[in-house]
Amino acid sequence: MTKYNPYKRAGLGLLIAGSLISLPAYFLFQLTWLTALGICMLILSFILIALGKAIPRLPPEVCSLLLETGIDNISTLIEELGIKSKAIYLPSSLTSKYPRAFIPLHSNGSHPEITKTLPLRLISRYGSSPEDIGILISTIGSTAASMLESKPGGTPDELESALTSLLTGRLGVADGTKVRRYNNHIKIEINNPHLENGTSWSNQCLGGPLAAVVASIAAEAWNKPMTISQEEQIDGKYSVELEVGK
Amino acid sequence: MKIYNRYVITVSLFLLLTTVILIATGQNSIDLYFTVYVIEALAITELYVHINNKARRGLTYVSTILFGGFAIALCFQIIKILT
Repeated sequence: MTKYNPYKRAGLGLLIAGSLISLPAYFLFQLTWLTALGICMLILSFILIALGKAIPRLPPEVCSLLLETGIDNISTLIEELGIKSKAIYLPSSLTSKYPRAFIPLHSNGSHPEITKTLPLRLISRYGSSPEDIGILISTIGSTAASMLESKPGGTPDELESALTSLLTGRLGVADGTKVRRYNNHIKIEINNPHLENGTSWSNQCLGGPLAAVVASIAAEAWNKPMTISQEEQIDGKYSVELEVGK
Repeated sequence: MKIYNRYVITVSLFLLLTTVILIATGQNSIDLYFTVYVIEALAITELYVHINNKARRGLTYVSTILFGGFAIALCFQIIKILT
């Protein structure tokens, strides 16, 4: 494991170098500045070894492989069904266990009102009319929401804190977030995102990976369905606008 | 992993700058160097609130070790003053 973990390798290197420098410098040569430099190395080595233990065992390439396979499968499904309507991100209270995305199969321009918990099936019915059906799928946001330590509260500040903690601290895919709410819209700005958005059919339906994460977490925070109304990337800032459902 | 890199670089820069400043001002007490290092490392760790839980647990152990070292240095100083 140490072989593939740069933090642990650097930490062990600094631990050995720090010990070799600080001990002779203090006891033999009695040089304060050199001893201090050795202590610096030792402190950094402890920090690096501690961080090395927190790095996921799965290499990023494998994670990317799994992600792309999953997205490809969903894209194929959506394209084959010819769905053009936008996905509605539902909180866990309207699905079960995790927040999921619901794509209505028939849409007349308005978003369907989902008030009761949907059954955990790929094809789910949300109303009494024969056309009130859609597909209920898990997205990256569903899994990302399960990574949160606790359910965020329904205020812009709490959502911002949860998103920054997840995207910056846990996933390392952005430098920070900013959340603003006005009327029934929520605008989220993501600074310096490292995930690219595709231009496939499924992306127009489900939104980009970051938008999916943001929409799922926001749905969970407000406990209301969310729809991605707009997403754009300008000058290293990725902004997502969500429409809060009823 | 970007936040980890930023954290490590910040700590390294602060420790290195402190060393340079303390050497330039002619400080010759190793206790002073160590005390400043510990305070800086603890403060920077606290500022990085978004580091994930697993890493934070590891850093808490490091902080405990550093604080232990600081307490020992403090004890030695107190004994030195009293005797």
